[in-house]
Amino acid sequence: MDNGTRRRWLRHLPLHLVVLLFVVITLYPILWVVTIALSGQQSLAYVDLPADPTIFDRLRAITPWPNEISFENFRSVWADQPFGRWVLNSAVVAGATTILGVFLASTAGYAFSRFRFPGRRAGLMSFLVSQMFPGVLMLVPLYIILVQWLGLGSTWIGLVLVYATIAIPFCVWMLKGYFDTIPKELEESALIDGASAAQVFLRIVLPLAKPAIAVTALFSFMTGWNEFILAATFMDEEIMYTAPVGLRFFVGGYSQQWGYFAAGSLIVSLPVVALFYFLQKYLISGLTAGAVKG
Amino acid sequence: MSRNPNPSRRVGTGLVLALLLAVGAGTWGLARARLQQDRQREARDAVILAAELAELVGRADLEPVAVYSVVQLFAELHPRVAVVRVIDLGAKRLVASTAVADTGDKTAPRRLGLDEKELYDLGQELRAAVETNRREGRSWKPEITVTRRAGRFDAAAPVENAERDGAVVGTVLLEIVAEPAAAGAPWLAALLALAVPMVLFVLLTRWPRWPRQHRRHRRSPERPVLMVTAAGTLLVLAVAVFGLWAIGSLETGARRADEELAARLADEAERSERLLVSLGAADSELDPRRWDVDEYRRPREVGAAAQTEVLGRRLGRLVTWCGGLALALYLFVALGSATRTGHALSHHRRAYAYALPAMISMLVLVYFPFFYGIVLSFTNANIYNTDQPLTEIWVGLDNFGEILGDFDLVEQTAEGPVIDYTSFYWTLGFTVIWTVANVSIGVSVGLLLALILHRKGFALKPIYRVILILPWAMPNYITALIWRGMFHSQFGVVNQAIQILGGSPVSWFDSPGTAFVTVLATNGWLSFPFMMVISLGALQSIPADLYEAARVDGASGWQQLRSITLPSLKPALVPAVILSVIWTFNMFNIIYLVSAGQPAGSTEILITDAYKIAFEQYRYGYAAAYSTVIFLILFGYGVWQNRVTRATEGI
Repeated sequence: MDNGTRRRWLRHLPLHLVVLLFVVITLYPILWVVTIALSGQQSLAYVDLPADPTIFDRLRAITPWPNEISFENFRSVWADQPFGRWVLNSAVVAGATTILGVFLASTAGYAFSRFRFPGRRAGLMSFLVSQMFPGVLMLVPLYIILVQWLGLGSTWIGLVLVYATIAIPFCVWMLKGYFDTIPKELEESALIDGASAAQVFLRIVLPLAKPAIAVTALFSFMTGWNEFILAATFMDEEIMYTAPVGLRFFVGGYSQQWGYFAAGSLIVSLPVVALFYFLQKYLISGLTAGAVKG
Repeated sequence: MSRNPNPSRRVGTGLVLALLLAVGAGTWGLARARLQQDRQREARDAVILAAELAELVGRADLEPVAVYSVVQLFAELHPRVAVVRVIDLGAKRLVASTAVADTGDKTAPRRLGLDEKELYDLGQELRAAVETNRREGRSWKPEITVTRRAGRFDAAAPVENAERDGAVVGTVLLEIVAEPAAAGAPWLAALLALAVPMVLFVLLTRWPRWPRQHRRHRRSPERPVLMVTAAGTLLVLAVAVFGLWAIGSLETGARRADEELAARLADEAERSERLLVSLGAADSELDPRRWDVDEYRRPREVGAAAQTEVLGRRLGRLVTWCGGLALALYLFVALGSATRTGHALSHHRRAYAYALPAMISMLVLVYFPFFYGIVLSFTNANIYNTDQPLTEIWVGLDNFGEILGDFDLVEQTAEGPVIDYTSFYWTLGFTVIWTVANVSIGVSVGLLLALILHRKGFALKPIYRVILILPWAMPNYITALIWRGMFHSQFGVVNQAIQILGGSPVSWFDSPGTAFVTVLATNGWLSFPFMMVISLGALQSIPADLYEAARVDGASGWQQLRSITLPSLKPALVPAVILSVIWTFNMFNIIYLVSAGQPAGSTEILITDAYKIAFEQYRYGYAAAYSTVIFLILFGYGVWQNRVTRATEGI
């Protein structure tokens, strides 16, 4: 370490302490869940406190480290509980939501970016306004439409349709913003070279918009993977629960199976957290450039 | 652009389409109303038969031989009655049966089999209903049931014993063959209602010889207006006449049904008396009016004509609505808007084709539910009346009045004033505080961390960034459930930490203040990374020479922050704040999963309150009104923000 670097370290030390404080706050709940998951038991208390605990006992109790490391919770939640099936439900629903969501948003985003047609402004504004619709207001009508009219209660399709649709406004706004940055001349020259309109869209515009498409896909996937209320309302049969509904099943109401919950949470969080880190750059640029500024 | 080449064709097309719509809907409505009328009549017949047989069996005192004769004769006299069963509830016996299966070794009288438990249960249910109604002195539960099955009606009625104060001792169960639907659709009338106005229209356009050269040389404005008005009048007249005729025909049918029924009742009484005579038991007179009862065995005060009034009103409403719709359609086509819309559609067909899939799914799954929800907010829809038409449960602005008019925020009780946490204004106030607190925490923490991380040469910045972004990446329902566990009053780590510091454990969800801390901590934890990342991005885009120049001018760090950094951040931060205000305002998961509104609904925000009204109290209409208010608040906020910040300019 040369002299300048060390000086800067020293000058920055108080700031590092501030940041470290937030790092601890950020990491603690997650470490705590990891500890419960690895403790091999269902209780929140992964350390047995004596009847009259000393300060050190208590310090031990809040230190996120289990008495012994056991993977029993992971094995058990997968083997003894229908959790595997719930994860499968979530995976199918989120996967299909991604495909459908990208299709719907990329076509609509292209229309709103490239064409000037009557109803364009109204359509875009209505997407914005729809973001303010309180979900609960639509829950009862949606229930009537999907479950009573279309008979799609407790099915994958019903959830996929709803998730792909509620992701549309954000994705369309973001994709529209991105499409706007692709020069029109590229398309015009392709048209002159004899490409069809569909070819221009599929071969030229979509590949150029890869980052934005990736964000759309991620967003749609996260919508499907993380959504809780709609799934809890539409999926009546236990076997059709999605992972969020199932996790809440472990610790909601009077059941206190924190071990299953913790192990399940880690399993469920891992893919989205990984995806998030992989695509966060695009998500952020999408949020700042596309959706927010209009 | 020669937009209107031939106005008379346009007006004619509009007229035909509109007539098809209105008359078609009216015909369908009338056919359905007639079918319902038939069903009502048949159900009423079934009740009469069941009540009559129950009385006869009661007079035979459930004595097997006598009941056998009654049942046999009754079945002979009423060919539509396919099967009769009589059950003695006390002895659990099948006293008599005309079912084909109950022959041979299963011939009545015999004990009921296990597979006949359903029949017995139905009998017990009716007995319980009669007893409850008598005890409470009102009509609570149905005493006679009529169920429509494929091709038949199943009716059941209690048998009373006159000597034991009318105690229910048995049940009669009848299977009655349904009559084939008598009423068809009114084709002739529909055809007339379609044809007459069309013919008249054609005559009108041909006969008075509108001066043709007028149209060719100078476009005379009166002519199309005259024609449009004339055809519109024809349309309205035709629909009105058809609607009035349809309602009249329903009423005529009902009156005829009433007359027939009166005759039939007299006939029934005569037959039954003959039946009693043949059994040698004609001691007392039968009153046929006691059989024409409703499901609570109250004498039916209203006849078919009165029942029809409801059907007629419904039909009238249908015709009015569809007539209005048809008129709109007519004007749309006749005035040329349809042509213009068609032109626009074909001109921009590629754009519309691209936008179509998304627009359709938005229409079906977002906009329609939204407007349906708004409509529901004017009704008192709840779990018991979802199958009723909306017009029957319409309450106008009552829900809104109830929500917004609840000013009694503080209740005076014996223990002094108590805040009514279920009041809308408490929840609104709490939601606003919740939103402001969360967004402030998010912005200040996020901005602070961003400013630190952005410092030139700050070591370990990528690692810090990766870690600090973690709460954003975590699914928020998991975050919520984790924090709920950490605030557990007995095992939660927060209370352990408090005890280390010498405090005593806190029951976090027992008072509004501490419960607020829990939800705030949870939401603060998961919302600061968003602001941090947005700020970091914006900080990077500030050109370094601005600071250079400021330093040359001798500005202090604080001055640089105030005059350069913060103003440069504004364009990025303002939209982010708007977004996070809306998100937080509707942050359902955190409240619902962490505090669940405890204690006593004091930490409920508007959206969770609305959810609980809908799915725990099942007051769908009231919940819809509640959500509509939430929407209006957010919409007002959005419009105001938009005006202040001009965020959506230039799209």
